[in-house]
Amino acid sequence: MKHIVLFLVFLTALRAADPVDVLVQGAENLEVQEIVAALEGPAKITIGPFSFWTGKIGGHPVAVQLTGQALINCTTSTVLGIEEFSPKLIVNQGTSGAQAPFLTLHDIIVGRRALDYSAMITPVRAVGQGSVALAWTPVPQRLRDLATGKLVAFAKGFAGDEAALAVAMRTRNSMGRVFLGVIGSAHEVNLELDRVRWSHETFGMDVEEMESGHVAAIAHAYGIRYIAFRVVSDAPYEGVPFYPLAARATGLFTVNFLKNLPPL
Amino acid sequence: MVEHMSRRFRIFGGFIFGVIFSFRLALAASSSAPPVDILLAAASDAALQPLIAKLESPQIETRAAWQFWIGTLAGKRVVLTRTEGDPLNAVAATTLAIRRYSPKLVVTYGSARAHDPALRSGDLLVSEKFSAFDGLVSSVVPLDAGSDSLTWQKLPHLVATKGEGETAVFFFPADASALAVAKTLAAPRGKVVVGVLGSAAQVNREVDRVAWIRREWGTSSEDGESAHIAGCALLLGVPVIGLRVIDGTEAEAAAVALKFMEASK
Repeated sequence: MKHIVLFLVFLTALRAADPVDVLVQGAENLEVQEIVAALEGPAKITIGPFSFWTGKIGGHPVAVQLTGQALINCTTSTVLGIEEFSPKLIVNQGTSGAQAPFLTLHDIIVGRRALDYSAMITPVRAVGQGSVALAWTPVPQRLRDLATGKLVAFAKGFAGDEAALAVAMRTRNSMGRVFLGVIGSAHEVNLELDRVRWSHETFGMDVEEMESGHVAAIAHAYGIRYIAFRVVSDAPYEGVPFYPLAARATGLFTVNFLKNLPPL
Repeated sequence: MVEHMSRRFRIFGGFIFGVIFSFRLALAASSSAPPVDILLAAASDAALQPLIAKLESPQIETRAAWQFWIGTLAGKRVVLTRTEGDPLNAVAATTLAIRRYSPKLVVTYGSARAHDPALRSGDLLVSEKFSAFDGLVSSVVPLDAGSDSLTWQKLPHLVATKGEGETAVFFFPADASALAVAKTLAAPRGKVVVGVLGSAAQVNREVDRVAWIRREWGTSSEDGESAHIAGCALLLGVPVIGLRVIDGTEAEAAAVALKFMEASK
């Protein structure tokens, strides 16, 4: 009997969960709190160190995922989430630092594209010649197209799903404004305004954060529709320091988005 | 500044280094692939092919943008994957390989550029530990006052832990028993050195910045993936070892990996 039970436990561990329509991601507890609270019929599962909550929002079967922060956590957890739940759409959302001067606290950027802005190659400088970050050359994220065998560079990053963008731009942010924009990701907090301006001018970035561009690349590799929302939680041009509860705005916006989203 | 930094620094507690077998089991996919002993990860076909050519009963599997070669090498069941030499592809491929093939050890191998001025071309650097040195936070500096990367502060990695926690770390560990084996290998053109394998999606050729990275992050070398693979392996509870030939060729790195396989029990 003991062996039968162990075998059943083993089978349970091997079986992927039921598919969902939408995988909804946040990097921190505050970023998923409102969305988890909105789930109908919530159930929690864990894969490795990552927590997921399944249920329904707006009639859509969804899995809400705590990805953890930055590339290593979010790439690992996104691959696990896709493999487990086979989503049709991934929504990555959370807080960000403004990189465009017109943005302020609680504004939301809907990502018409998202990219990794951290990869670079420096010029050669000898001892004593210093380091000049504004002279570094960006290196775009590349993905292998297995059909052709070629590595493809995505200098502009990865576009948000057109149909999802249209729904998002009809969705209300009850705490601020909503703009289409560009989201940049790196394991960085940039508060030197000349570098903020450089990344805004070089990549077109409106906000910086740590996950969207990486998750967008993974979604592209899998051929899964993707969209990102980022609320401004700190605005260096205005001297607005990080306000973690801004996460509530993008959480509520995401719930509204899911309620507006037609069946997938 | 403190408030800005807290966006990324918040720590919920928990500690993940004592991950157990059942943890790995819970990661397993519905794939029918049988488990392997070792995952070998390298950046390019050129570094992989010498090992793929020696696989007994080879199979190829693909998923999204990533590829896996499965077979028997030096008497052990192995899977090889191509990391493309950057953190995102490396972490994605490593995650898939761990989920699908449940390796007991991850080996990241290839070439690296020296950060430690004592390292010489052809030395074999083996991992005491790993450092993903891409985390930074800069100070508040007004417009037209410039950017000074030598004043930036390092930002730790917040490793996700069970129960919605996270732990701030600057280093990822290497497996002690695999390191003991690695230390017995011969370097292609120099000596074997135990050190800190650093990685980022960066090619740093400013000597002052390289010195800054080494001072801040303790790196011995840099490459595009090794520490990120180690971070992923840590998340998923699999031991990892890194083998890097300083300024090495793909053939040299592959030869070192093969020797490691032959020396491993």
